[in-house]
Amino acid sequence: MIDERLQAFEVRIARGEKIEPGDWMPDEYRRQLIRMISQHAHSEIVGMLPEGAWITRAPNLRQKLILLAKVQDEAGHGQYLYHAAETLGATRAEMIELLLAGKAKYSSVFNYPTLSWADMGIIGWLVDGAAILNQTMLARSSYGPYSRAMVRISAEEGFHKKQGQEMVIRYARGTARQHALVQDALNRWWWPSLMMFGPHDSESPNSPTLLRWRIKTRTNDQLRQEFVNELVPELQRLELSLPDSALRRDEASGNWLIGPIDWDEFKRVVSGHGPCNQERLAARQKAHDDGRWVREALEVYAARQDQARPRVN
Amino acid sequence: MDTQWPRYEVFEQEQPDQPHRNSGAVHAPDAELALQNARDVFVRRPEVSSLWVVPENQIYAWTAEALAADPSWQTETVVLARSASPYEVFQKQSQRQSETYVIHVGTVQARSPSEALREALAKFDAGSVLVWWVVLAGAIRRSTRGEAASLFEPARDKTYRQPNEYKVASQMRAANDAGKAEAGNEQPGPAGAPAPGPQEPAE
Repeated sequence: MIDERLQAFEVRIARGEKIEPGDWMPDEYRRQLIRMISQHAHSEIVGMLPEGAWITRAPNLRQKLILLAKVQDEAGHGQYLYHAAETLGATRAEMIELLLAGKAKYSSVFNYPTLSWADMGIIGWLVDGAAILNQTMLARSSYGPYSRAMVRISAEEGFHKKQGQEMVIRYARGTARQHALVQDALNRWWWPSLMMFGPHDSESPNSPTLLRWRIKTRTNDQLRQEFVNELVPELQRLELSLPDSALRRDEASGNWLIGPIDWDEFKRVVSGHGPCNQERLAARQKAHDDGRWVREALEVYAARQDQARPRVN
Repeated sequence: MDTQWPRYEVFEQEQPDQPHRNSGAVHAPDAELALQNARDVFVRRPEVSSLWVVPENQIYAWTAEALAADPSWQTETVVLARSASPYEVFQKQSQRQSETYVIHVGTVQARSPSEALREALAKFDAGSVLVWWVVLAGAIRRSTRGEAASLFEPARDKTYRQPNEYKVASQMRAANDAGKAEAGNEQPGPAGAPAPGPQEPAE
């Protein structure tokens, strides 16, 4: 019986159909999706913090409006994703509890500090650019609610990447001091951006299952290579250098080949021991605690309104 | 003591002559705040003219797979209301990649949710429908004409949320041309020296 259902499920996926809430799905499909979508949601929420720190220090009003709008978007994207995970039976309360307890993973890149205003440009271009590649791939995911959230998020994030690229171009072509600032930002964010795509395919135990059920449609290494091929020539055109002495173009394949990624650092940061993990979780916990009285007040108000409503029999 | 507020499904209408579409949900303690939260989460960009919110437990949903597997919707299992009420009907119509889940197709009169489904199957084209939702019309909190200005107008002038506000392709070309010009002169300046783009007027 189970095998017949599994077969029918896999046939639907092979036909390119979306699986929707209420449809039969294997437990492992549900488990993998909850894992991925909740991590993705947490990344959007924690992802507000590195940039949020610079809103009050924006150099002009336009830049401030752009940064505010971008951080607001990340909050909204976290909400889209928590709701997608809920359709699989996870509750938002549980997911947030795991995040605050330090038991949930989120993208390691948000555990690095933002040291200068130029980081806002590099994060927009590199970090959002890497995220968009991943999200465009996930928009083709077989699970309907995840796919729909990704279509919307990818469309909205187009401006995140472009505002960052615009800033990097301006600084790279600006004064010597501006160029040095953006070069320093690139030096610090290049490797963490490449780590965003996750472990090499050979070290990624979930990948075969995720690809078979079309939860993912491309591998970590494929996406990382596309990112490197797009970014390296553009950064070089702006006379920025990449912090990788082994970087070279392979004539046969046309690919830019990078040097070895420091996976020890990746493991350290993703397991809670990066430069800012504690600070990020403390900021989330504070926001959660500071907002408690608002949540309680709204709840009491709603209950009172409900009681005051005339009963119709 | 944090508990989770009820979930409300959100429907957006881009233009007054277009149908309402569902693409997500919010949590809120009541319908008024659900509408406010829906506005914050789904209306950061200038393309909404009306919002509906519906408590999740007021939505009766059937996938095509469920309709085929379990025919209980064909017979009544609840006590029918004495008179018919309007139900709004929504469909998921295609497998195309999209941010939309179900889309509003119209209204039926019925005395129970499953009667509303049967009415909908008779009234609307059901050929390629993948998911049906029916909702008692009275259970929907709809933004009013009077609320539209405060809910939807603030997003309209925030053009910096649009990707086409940023001319990065031409800026990259300008950087490239400047680089070539420097190479042609064989006088590469120090990295980062001011390099005005060709379109920019000299000061």
